Amino acid sequence: MVDGGAGGRFARTRWEPVAISLGAIGLTGLVGAVLLLAGGFDPLAAAAAMVRGSVGSWDVFVSITLVRSVPLILTGLAVALAFRAGVWNIGAEGQLYAGAVAAAGVGLAGGGLPAVLLVPAVLCAALAAGAAWAVLPMLMRVRLGVGEVITTILMNFVGIHMAAYMVHGPLQESRGVFPQTDAIAEAARLPPLLPGTRLHVGFAVAALLALGMTVFLHRSRAGFRIRAVGASPEAAHVSGRIDARRVLVGCFLVSGAVAGLAGGVEVAGVTHALYEDLSPGWGYTAIAVALLAGLEPLGVLVTGLLFGALQAGAGAMQRDAGIPAAWVGVVEALVILAVLGLDRLRRTGGRVLPGIRIGGGGGA
Amino acid sequence: MAHPFPTRGARTAALVALTVAAATACGGGDAPEAEPTLRVALLTSGPVSDAGWYAGAYEGLMRIEQQFGAQVSHQQTATPAEFDEAFIAYATSGYDLIFAHGNEYQDAAIRAGERFPELTIVVSGGGRVSGNVAPLIFRLEEGSYLAGMAAAAMTESGIVGMVGGVEIPPARGTFVAFEAGARSVDPDIEVLEVFTGDWNDVAAAKEATVAQLSRGADVVIHNLDAASFAVFQAVREARAAGRTTWAVGMNSDQNDVAPDVIIGSAVIRIADAFVETVRMWQAGEVGGAAIYASTRQDVIDFVFNPELLDRVPPEIVQRVSEARDMIRAGTLDVPRIEFVEGEAGVR
Repeated sequence: MVDGGAGGRFARTRWEPVAISLGAIGLTGLVGAVLLLAGGFDPLAAAAAMVRGSVGSWDVFVSITLVRSVPLILTGLAVALAFRAGVWNIGAEGQLYAGAVAAAGVGLAGGGLPAVLLVPAVLCAALAAGAAWAVLPMLMRVRLGVGEVITTILMNFVGIHMAAYMVHGPLQESRGVFPQTDAIAEAARLPPLLPGTRLHVGFAVAALLALGMTVFLHRSRAGFRIRAVGASPEAAHVSGRIDARRVLVGCFLVSGAVAGLAGGVEVAGVTHALYEDLSPGWGYTAIAVALLAGLEPLGVLVTGLLFGALQAGAGAMQRDAGIPAAWVGVVEALVILAVLGLDRLRRTGGRVLPGIRIGGGGGA
Repeated sequence: MAHPFPTRGARTAALVALTVAAATACGGGDAPEAEPTLRVALLTSGPVSDAGWYAGAYEGLMRIEQQFGAQVSHQQTATPAEFDEAFIAYATSGYDLIFAHGNEYQDAAIRAGERFPELTIVVSGGGRVSGNVAPLIFRLEEGSYLAGMAAAAMTESGIVGMVGGVEIPPARGTFVAFEAGARSVDPDIEVLEVFTGDWNDVAAAKEATVAQLSRGADVVIHNLDAASFAVFQAVREARAAGRTTWAVGMNSDQNDVAPDVIIGSAVIRIADAFVETVRMWQAGEVGGAAIYASTRQDVIDFVFNPELLDRVPPEIVQRVSEARDMIRAGTLDVPRIEFVEGEAGVR
């Protein structure tokens, strides 16, 4: 899934990611329709529900699609940055949970503080915890040469179970009844971005981060170093000017921090308490989000929104078209497969646009 | 805001009309023009194919559709953020009543209740109450107590096992009652208890059951959802290995699921409770307090598996039947764990 191409080879042209996105949507629509027909469901009703449930009204778009895209954008940025530097961080899910636990802890403890202090403290705690969750895999990669794909995946399980332990143990709600924390202090909650909707300032944070990361990657020396190391660590090292290890360490930790921020923003902006099943696997979907964006931060903003809309629409497919959750899950998975397949095709065969030279390459 | 999707066929046209209705309804939360059709939705966190907790709820939804001519809808949700979304989506589409089938929905239900005052939400096993949010509490302890009596009569080793999902008060309550029922028959019985932490994790449930069987338990009850099949499978495999082992069903009548090993099921007739709740809602009686469903309304019961009834000592069938009457009459006190706001001993 993540073999081969390093950062530099992605995003050769600006419109390529857009073309791939459209190709993926078209392909998925086609295969999804066939599957739904085979299952005895009405694909038109499904598609109508999907559109309505994601962009059908202003309220739905803002309060569901945009809200849902925030953790996808943040984890997508985390993955994109890591992959850019040649760090295969598959651990965004665990880092997200670490950030969520830290945010909930600070949000519960800091009850007396004013919001101007508490909100930044909550977000900083999430950043720090996410980075801390990346320390062990980072050290094992840098010191022992252990591949981070395995270690970050394993840290996901630790993170998910640590959060479960917290809501059954130290952070359980004061009545000691249900597996969740108490609601965090009012002053710890992210204020709404648009009053009267569920949209919180976390969306602005994610968008600004995407902008800042783009400028950083393409306009700064450090960004150039990251791209160089990602393209070829040896070449970057031989050139004599880039400490590949330092770049790697930095990107690993910042990637973890941003994924942790996703968890903190979710707790402070949406759920206002820590639960076991906080994430439906955003940290994994983030890989598709980042790859579909060609590892471009601004692209992640777009693909994060796309996946947010997709997931929002998936709920509506159940509600309005009566399609069972399992079928919806299959259609969702198809999108990710189509994305990865087209991405692969682009890198191996397609010269101008994906889909033109299908006969050429891309055999799994 | 009309959506750009091309329309074809009556069904799509109807959906578009619905969209427009939804779009006009959102924003201020004011309902569209007099809509005579009752709209009822169901939220579950697991598949309705579990032949248990969720399946019972779905059956209830189907009966509401038939008996009240209601427009119904179901969504399976996974995360707390999705709970909020589903409530918003249903409320803005003009739904009147939402059954949120599990305590996990309680916080989101309170939030949605504040935002949409016209909406009524019934939270199965919930612990929080507001003007338009009512917990629906199943006194499954009563059925579980009777199951404990049956289990104590069937065990040869004197050890019975209990495999639970998430350790929450309603689940702990059923096990406390199961143990009390078993002890009422055999005061020296040994009772093993484990919670896997997941209602639907088949592998964890199987492991836990195998562990209890190997510790000598020969009757195992569960309080799980989709993972309950794993308990029956483990019991069946122990049977194949030459032991005499039994399972007890829970949440719905599971006797048909594994008729060779299940001696009986502690059932919640969830569908009956849902239909009754809709009646109460139509009479304006839902909201502000918990709704209780028990053996008194026949919503809770213990049902012996007819196919294995010849293996059960007749006097225990008699004793279970007597105990049921005493519970109904209020002369037999089944232990339970209170957890709803306003209940005795609960803040």
